[in-house]
Amino acid sequence: MTELIKTPRTGETLPVKAGKRTNPLANVFDELVRFAQSRSLFMLHYCTGCGAIELPPSMTSRFDMERLGIQPMVSPRQADILLVTGYVSVKTLKRIILTYEQMGSPKYVIGICSCTVNGGMYWQSYATAKKLNDYMPVDIYIAGCMPRPEAVIAGLRELMENIRQGKADSWKDYYRHYDHYLGHQQRLFGETWQTPTDVIAEARHYGLFGPDTLGTHTALLEQHQRPLEALEMKVDIPELMARR
Amino acid sequence: MTSLDHLVLVSALTLALMLLFGRMRIAGRLAVVLYAVQFLLLMQTGALLGEPVASSLTLSVLDLQMHWRYDALSWFFAMITIGAGFFCAWYAAGVWQERYREEGHSPRLFHVALAANVLTMLILLGSGDLLSLFIGWELVSWASFLLMAVGGGPAGRAALRYLVYAFSGGMAILAGLMLIYTQTGSLDYARVLSLLGELSDGQVWLLLLLIGGGFAVKMGLLPFHLWQAAAYAETPGPGSSFLGAISARMGLYALIMLLVAMLGIGRLTAMEVPFTFLSARDLIAWIAALTVIIPTYIALQQHDARYLLAWHGIGQGGYMLLGLMVGNAVGSAGGLFHVFTYGITQAALLMAVFAVVHRTGTADLNKLGGLVARMPLTFLVLLFGIISLAGLPPMAGFVSKWMVYRSLVAEGMPLLFVAAVVGTLGTILSVYKLIHNIFLGQLRIEHEQVREAPLSMLLPMLGLSTLIFLVGVTPGPALSWVAAVQASLGLPPVPYTLGGIEDPRGGLDMLWLVGILMAGFGVGALIFFGLGGRSKRVHQLDNYAGGHFLTADVRYQYSDNFYAGLMHLIGPWYRGAFLWLEKALTATVAFLSAVMNGFYRYAQPALFVLATAVALLALTTA
Repeated sequence: MTELIKTPRTGETLPVKAGKRTNPLANVFDELVRFAQSRSLFMLHYCTGCGAIELPPSMTSRFDMERLGIQPMVSPRQADILLVTGYVSVKTLKRIILTYEQMGSPKYVIGICSCTVNGGMYWQSYATAKKLNDYMPVDIYIAGCMPRPEAVIAGLRELMENIRQGKADSWKDYYRHYDHYLGHQQRLFGETWQTPTDVIAEARHYGLFGPDTLGTHTALLEQHQRPLEALEMKVDIPELMARR
Repeated sequence: MTSLDHLVLVSALTLALMLLFGRMRIAGRLAVVLYAVQFLLLMQTGALLGEPVASSLTLSVLDLQMHWRYDALSWFFAMITIGAGFFCAWYAAGVWQERYREEGHSPRLFHVALAANVLTMLILLGSGDLLSLFIGWELVSWASFLLMAVGGGPAGRAALRYLVYAFSGGMAILAGLMLIYTQTGSLDYARVLSLLGELSDGQVWLLLLLIGGGFAVKMGLLPFHLWQAAAYAETPGPGSSFLGAISARMGLYALIMLLVAMLGIGRLTAMEVPFTFLSARDLIAWIAALTVIIPTYIALQQHDARYLLAWHGIGQGGYMLLGLMVGNAVGSAGGLFHVFTYGITQAALLMAVFAVVHRTGTADLNKLGGLVARMPLTFLVLLFGIISLAGLPPMAGFVSKWMVYRSLVAEGMPLLFVAAVVGTLGTILSVYKLIHNIFLGQLRIEHEQVREAPLSMLLPMLGLSTLIFLVGVTPGPALSWVAAVQASLGLPPVPYTLGGIEDPRGGLDMLWLVGILMAGFGVGALIFFGLGGRSKRVHQLDNYAGGHFLTADVRYQYSDNFYAGLMHLIGPWYRGAFLWLEKALTATVAFLSAVMNGFYRYAQPALFVLATAVALLALTTA
């Protein structure tokens, strides 16, 4: 288990590349986009443990998180927040990582309950992952066993505030320090661990390819990786093909 | 020789040539050319806008004159018939025909059956009196039987079932004609028309029951709908397309002749159903509405694409009769126009489904999926078709259905309107199931190497899709035919424009509507491409299934029991009551025949034959 101090710190701002922000209106525009993003969040709640029981009251009329612009979403492709509610067993963690990698950026992870922070009451279990942020960057932890809906709402408001201020960019860490996260994953799941998503290619795509993206663990991944090519749409009319 | 004679002669020539040369490879292409010639000849008759065109052939049976003529109504239906024949023959002409031959069937028999169908329908549509109508009716029934039965196996059984229904209907029509003959002394339209007004309400009810009921069998109106889906679905590819597009509409043609041309909507409105507040017109309209709803929701439960579409064919017939029963300019135009829009839609849809069957060997909705990546053009055809079938803009089906809805609302029939909308809801649900289970979702391993439909099948499909879209955007030209038909039937003609209809109470302009729709897509495209047009293609196994890791050997496509939630609500309503009724009737007839058999064969055969002969003699002399 790594020390918290060794995990990459979130919110670490990188120097802005020169010549990128010449338009004086760009900051205003960014501000607007961030404001809009913070007020429209779709949440995929991956209910792994008992914390899930606090979500219905948070979502329904009593606490009503939709007044903050937060709604549940059924698929990761359209979701902004991945909500992990409670203890994470090794088997479940694979699914969480798969789901997290399927989400489109920007994406935010919230760990609810003590179990996601340090294993909680399952600390001695051989089958649970202790710290969620060993395996993926976490934006907000809401501790408690379990946290009440007020705490959940407070955590979500803090995330919204971070998004509005541009501080909630820990999703970039996953690309910049992919080797670190992959190392933890491989330690738990074995050397042949792979997900369908090509994170390294995505890091290049987003321009987030850093010196720590590749390393010993990604080299190990490349040995085992079986690529999944996207399904191409083919207009394959036999008669026209034959004539060519 | 008039232009109508030319048309029918060329149609007969088509049949003869198919009989002679049907074995040869060229037969399919020859048929296409001949149907095109028939189409041109039909255009030349000028029956749509000018005077009715008579045939020079007249026959005399007993003291009855039989003659044939084409007016605007005949022209309209004949245009759809020949058009459907043209596209279906084209679809069959190339690879489909070869495959059909390889599977051990006879393309010659198929081409003959198709040509016989077109010929007999043209003869029926030209009928100039009730006797020629009846003869044409019987010819069409036998020709349809031929086309349904060529497939053999389940198709043969379905065709036999159809034959029982058609026979019963034909006998009822014959009884009705005898009633008319005894009352009016003639079977000529003009004579009958002038004398019909003198019939009592009771006699007209009997006529409606006998003749209307007989015609309703062909159209698949409730409660005579059970035979149609299986018979149409099991027919081989293009034959199924042809039957679905136009065959059942012959029943509608005959019903229009009876209800609108001969009796008139006014007479129907004046006739009260005893002990109720309904008129005969309301009753027929409600039968039509139930015909929309019940078969449509049966279609929702089908898991065979062919059956799903065939059940819709029955339901869509209800919209046509519903619009005609409203009887005003827009409503009757909507009903008539739906014959055309639905014809091109259903032909394209069935062709697309049979193209999938051609490539994958199955129409089972639980065994397909993800084919959009392999057959994108076929997908496009099916997409255009289902948008039109569900009655959504910008396709042709929207215009005709909109006109039916609008007339129902404007004429103060809100409950019928609700019934029509409920039917449309069922249509939308089931066509979504159709396109999802065939083309969307997971591509199965065994379909990895599937190719696009062959060109000879693809071209007619794409042609029909283009037609569906063009008629949807500019329905004006097609509505001008409908207006001419209305004028010939004595209905108020619809005030049409290029883009739709003009009406102070709310018109329709598809040019604007499609323009706005396209502008909406345009704005979306601008935003998407303006922001860089970023998208990412992922493998179909890189998909979300509750976090589960997907593998190619595990099916994650949700296709069986598709609307489980809805069926939880409406499932108990499916009782199979009509099926039960049919079975009870069959069992009763079987029982009675067994009883009679027993009497004649075993008890006192000679005595019973003698008694029957005496009774018959007594009846005939009395």
